Amino acid sequence: MLLTNYFVSAWRNIYKHKLFSAINILGLAIGLASCILIALFVRDEISYDKFWSNADNMYRVHLTFNVPGRDPMKLAMAPGPVIHAWKKDFPQVTHASRLSQREPTVIIGDRYFVDDITLVDPDFPEIFDLNAVSGDLTNAFIGFDNIVLNETLANKYFGSKQAVGQIITLDFGSFQRDYNVAAVIKDMPKNSQVIPKALITIDEPAWKEQPWMFDAWFSTNAQLYFKLSDTTNIESINRELPAFVNRNFPKIPIGGDNVKNSDLIIMSTMNVKDLHLAPSRDGEYQDRGNKNTVMIFATVATLILIIAAINFMNLSTARASQRAKEVSLRKVMGASRKDLIVQFLGESVLLTFFGLLIALAIVEIALPKYNEILDKTFSIDYGSSDVLYIIILAISVGILGGSYPAFFLSHFRPAENLKANKSAETKASVKLRYALVILQFSVSITLFVSTAVVYGQMLYAKNMDLGYNTDNVLAVHEISRDVVQKKLPLLVEEIKRMPNVSAVTWSDFTPGRANQNNTIVHVEGQSNEDGILIGSRGIGYDYFNAYDVPIIAGREYSRERGDRDVSTDDLRNGINYTGSIMINESAIGRLGLGSPQEAVGKLIFAGAGQPEENLTATYEIIGVVPDIHFDSLKSTIRPEIYEIHADYGNAISARFSGDPEELVENVRRLWEQEIPSIPFDYSFIREAVARQYNAEQGQANMFAAFSALAILIACLGLYGLASFTADRRTKEIGIRKVMGASVFDVVKLLVWQFSKPVIIANLIAWPISYYAMSIWLENFVYRIEAFFIIGFCLLAGIAALLIAWGTVAGNSVRVASANPINALRYE
Amino acid sequence: MLKLQDLTKAYRTDEVETVALNNVNIEIEHGEFVAIMGPSGCGKSTLLNIIGMLDTPTSGHYFFQDEDVAGYSEAQLGVIRKQHIGFIFQSFNLIDELSVAENIELALLYHDIPASERKERVAAVMDKVGIAHRAKHMPSQLSGGQQQRVAVARAVVGNQSMILADEPTGNLDTAHGQEVMEMLQQLNEEGTTIVMVTHSPSHADYARRTINLLDGHVVTESMRA
Ligand SMILES: Nc1ncnc2c1ncn2[C@@H]1O[C@H](COP(=O)(O)OP(=O)(O)OP(=O)(O)O)[C@@H](O)[C@H]1O
Ligand SMILES: [Mg+2]
Repeated sequence: MLLTNYFVSAWRNIYKHKLFSAINILGLAIGLASCILIALFVRDEISYDKFWSNADNMYRVHLTFNVPGRDPMKLAMAPGPVIHAWKKDFPQVTHASRLSQREPTVIIGDRYFVDDITLVDPDFPEIFDLNAVSGDLTNAFIGFDNIVLNETLANKYFGSKQAVGQIITLDFGSFQRDYNVAAVIKDMPKNSQVIPKALITIDEPAWKEQPWMFDAWFSTNAQLYFKLSDTTNIESINRELPAFVNRNFPKIPIGGDNVKNSDLIIMSTMNVKDLHLAPSRDGEYQDRGNKNTVMIFATVATLILIIAAINFMNLSTARASQRAKEVSLRKVMGASRKDLIVQFLGESVLLTFFGLLIALAIVEIALPKYNEILDKTFSIDYGSSDVLYIIILAISVGILGGSYPAFFLSHFRPAENLKANKSAETKASVKLRYALVILQFSVSITLFVSTAVVYGQMLYAKNMDLGYNTDNVLAVHEISRDVVQKKLPLLVEEIKRMPNVSAVTWSDFTPGRANQNNTIVHVEGQSNEDGILIGSRGIGYDYFNAYDVPIIAGREYSRERGDRDVSTDDLRNGINYTGSIMINESAIGRLGLGSPQEAVGKLIFAGAGQPEENLTATYEIIGVVPDIHFDSLKSTIRPEIYEIHADYGNAISARFSGDPEELVENVRRLWEQEIPSIPFDYSFIREAVARQYNAEQGQANMFAAFSALAILIACLGLYGLASFTADRRTKEIGIRKVMGASVFDVVKLLVWQFSKPVIIANLIAWPISYYAMSIWLENFVYRIEAFFIIGFCLLAGIAALLIAWGTVAGNSVRVASANPINALRYE
Repeated sequence: MLKLQDLTKAYRTDEVETVALNNVNIEIEHGEFVAIMGPSGCGKSTLLNIIGMLDTPTSGHYFFQDEDVAGYSEAQLGVIRKQHIGFIFQSFNLIDELSVAENIELALLYHDIPASERKERVAAVMDKVGIAHRAKHMPSQLSGGQQQRVAVARAVVGNQSMILADEPTGNLDTAHGQEVMEMLQQLNEEGTTIVMVTHSPSHADYARRTINLLDGHVVTESMRA
């Protein structure tokens, strides 16, 4: 009975004060919706690889090459032979499996596909959980001619037909083999760093022609996972790792005898649950998350909620003076303080509940776009405990926001408030409200500055001179496959002849699709051991011309002048000659070759084959190019050499002008005519390079959106407060007008009242933003100057003032224009 | 000083039209002390508000110093008002958040007067009405009589030539009411025109002329000998 009375009274109050209620509900709705969306993201990020039944005992082996004078090369992979030594040296490891993702040509009858196939060792299913939908997993990893497909691939290849028992041919270039579909498994969960689509077992002898794949100590082409026995501590392995490196790795010919392998090669282990949010390493097959990003978004969500709760508190306490009489009357009628607290809390919970309903609607409307931006498939499962969490969240906000007003209002003493002509506002409550507005705006301004810095940095990275021209270059991929390699000269010639094509070249890498090759290089008069590790890329003729890179000294490779690479096979057969080499500025600096002009004509010596083969190739420098950012700007420029690969590569690049689609169609027609068995795969370099920053861009957008929402909620609150205050001050304003104040004087007065907290908020927010964002910027090798932050601070300050003025001015003008006698009439 | 000619004020609310003033003709000379009397609801406050340019008539003419201000905009009226007219209200209408001195200073704040001169004039007028020792107090700390003295001080500090007072003694006891009336009388003797609404015949006796209103009409005008 009493409860329904409370409910009815709460509802009437909400209904009666429409502006107040609307602002509160809307602010809460936006706040809760933002919070729910961010929570979905954060929950997903921290859920990675926790679902494996062995998660606690599953680890991955990491390797870092600590090369003197270079950024350390941090790899998510381990060399192929490590697994055997690992199992032998560490009996506490119960299972271990490599995991290498390849893209062979998939041949089924007369149909061809290119898909990711994951190569693993037989222990794989003992470490990772696989769920067979059909077929049998027990024997699937025994022998070397079984394949396990996930449902998506099985469906793609065989449609509704039974996939198990079918034959699939995989062409890896160096060998081709028929595989029997042994089982179909459920698609692996997306919140994992390990998402194989198809699995086959590694047959080491079959890879003999490509020894770097699984048999080379200084090549990494596979990740290595292992499972620890339940009773062992991972530390027992970790502390043995330097000894493991020294015992097993062949001696690296750098630095002489006093440099141990363990000084150069750092091995480490990481639990699978930590993989996703750990600092980035090369050789990851799935996108990494970022711990900072997760923390930042969690913080933003909290801040948004706090801002929404503050609105609540502010508007309620502000309105308290209007309700003082109601409270006093209820007390006179016998209501206890507890009754009143329950009543006011009930009101705020009811408001929150409306807010929650609108929030859920907003979430449902926003989810498709949100998923698109983040490339996720989030949804709210209304049948799950999610709903419970959301309700708990909403009620906590309701209680948080409603508690102060409830206790504040309920403590009014009736005698004071029934006395006419006295404002129920105490100095303390006005001050508190002031402080809360300052807090809200400090947070909003900090978010604004942070967003500006994040965007500024994005723009900077996007527009930075990479050293080559990414515009108007079409890349055609899949060139390394045997069938295509034979036709490379023909393809190049044909594409060159197409209209609007100005240059055609090829290479073993394309910008945006990184591929790390390194080789030890030394100069005349040095021994092999004094050499430094230098990046190496293979390119075709006309490469720098096609990519608009100026040659600083010397010239580019030319077929006419007989430039050639040094073949490792020739070296193995004792055939020695001097090849041609191009080199970047960093490399001549590191090698001490003097100026670019001086470097041309000098000889350099590069390690070839496997280190233990001790082969050295001799090159004469024919050209020097500037440092070029072929890789993501997240890495620093490295010293590099560019070898001529006269007749092979991974991709053709064509510089064109005019309509890109027309060129794509022309090339596609050529491709389908010449190489019908391989699907045509192309990209535009500009887009491929931009794609490297997709995740950052998505998160920057997300950050911007949520910051904007936070600011919007704060403004809603300010609007409510302003209109409330303006109403409360109508009498004062009336008096001032009678005393001769103009409308403008009054507007100035009201607007200034809200400018002060905003200005104070700026003074609080600036140093915080500056400090936080200069730390954030340190994550980037190439970044905007810190003084930009100061500019953004000023900008934020002006924007915040303008927004505050805009928010307050409307109300002020309304109140200021009103005829003063209305305000002074009744008392 | 001012002259009202065929002045009518009608309030229109939804369906009903209330005629608060009907064909009022009044002339007030410079330096006069006029009392307006009449039963509740007869239009006294309305009349005073129009004279004070806080409101505009529905029809008729209002000559203020030979200028017909009946059709003036609010902003135009504001300029004349702040130059010539001071107000005293029944409910004092002091600003709760400002101190006594600040409340009085308010009347000078919008007049382009330098701060130092404002301070001097406020101090002088506080002396005059005898509340100088309360300068830093807030209105809520004062009695009704003291508050009204502050209001009187506020009305005179600007040296306006006319003061309009709407039941200035309505919220005061006899002794305090007397006090305020004496202050008004003194001001009038110093040359200020005073128009005052009152329900108290004894207070009306302070005025030289009394205008009686009934249902929006001027019924009688009587001069004191
Ligand atoms: N804003 C308004 N809207 C509608 N009617 C109004 C308004 N102001 C005054 N009135 C009406 O005009 C008439 C005159 O009101 P006014 O306030 O001038 O009376 P009064 O003589 O001052 O009364 P009292 O002695 O009670 O103060 C009354 O009938 C009143 O109801
Ligand atoms: Mg009246």
